[in-house]
Amino acid sequence: MSDISVIRVRDLLMVTLPSDPDDATVSALQHQVLEAMQKREPKGVVLDISAVETLDSFFARTVAETAQMVRLMGGRTIIAGMRPAVAITATQIGLTLGKIETALDVDRALEMVARGDGNIGGQK
Amino acid sequence: MTAVSQGEIQIATESDILLARRAVREAATQVGFGATDVTRIVTAASELARNTFLYAGRGTMHWTRCELHGREGLELKFVDKGPGIPDISLALQEGYSTGKGLGMGLPGAKRLMDDMDIQSAPGHGTTITVKKWRKT
Ligand SMILES: Nc1ncnc2c1ncn2[C@@H]1O[C@H](COP(=O)(O)OP(=O)(O)OP(=O)(O)O)[C@@H](O)[C@H]1O
Ligand SMILES: [Mg+2]
Repeated sequence: MSDISVIRVRDLLMVTLPSDPDDATVSALQHQVLEAMQKREPKGVVLDISAVETLDSFFARTVAETAQMVRLMGGRTIIAGMRPAVAITATQIGLTLGKIETALDVDRALEMVARGDGNIGGQK
Repeated sequence: MTAVSQGEIQIATESDILLARRAVREAATQVGFGATDVTRIVTAASELARNTFLYAGRGTMHWTRCELHGREGLELKFVDKGPGIPDISLALQEGYSTGKGLGMGLPGAKRLMDDMDIQSAPGHGTTITVKKWRKT
């Protein structure tokens, strides 16, 4: 039922979300990411949310939780491609994604990982 | 083509939250809201629809295109016959949750919209009405 794609790119998991995922899909994201972390032992996860049009408290909570679990499993999570309207709305609502790193787009997220450095061109 | 000016969505399952979001996105776009306001309104609707489902089990979302002093807007009304909210001002406080949430939904939805009205009493259900006006 899930429209999430999880693929391995180099030593990373690339997770792409559809534009309007329902709650079941968002919950499946957590499950799929953790399972792939265990099986494929990537260094981290790039979460491509460039298609996502609505980020509400449920979504934010699940993503923040997932990132925390990835961290416990020794990986890092970078959120890539948040749309401006989504960023404005999330900020206004007071949603934070915890301490997750962000990048303007997937390319920059991959660069961050390749260089092993922090936020470049990211919305902190 | 005549624009539809109202509609309703039954909220009884988790996936109905998605249907509510879609209906609101379409309505808000039709009213002519810009991309950021559409996102604000859809996000508020998502929070309120989820609350209806989580706390009342089921309910209805009514949406209506409205006008005030020549300004077009959108009204969303969430009606349920659930347990009600004993203390509304407490429920509106950021971080207050009786569930496992962050307690951001209600105060967040209020901030994203221009107007919010909550009618609720224990045992009598909850009606939450939010409005947003288009910038002219
Ligand atoms: N329709 C409703 N019927 C009964 N109680 C409600 C209803 N909507 C909200 N509440 C109560 O108000 C509280 C605050 O709601 P709010 O949406 O702000 O936070 P939450 O749902 O607990 O968490 P979050 O939305 O951040 O995931 C809820 O925990 C619940 O007790
Ligand atoms: Mg809520």
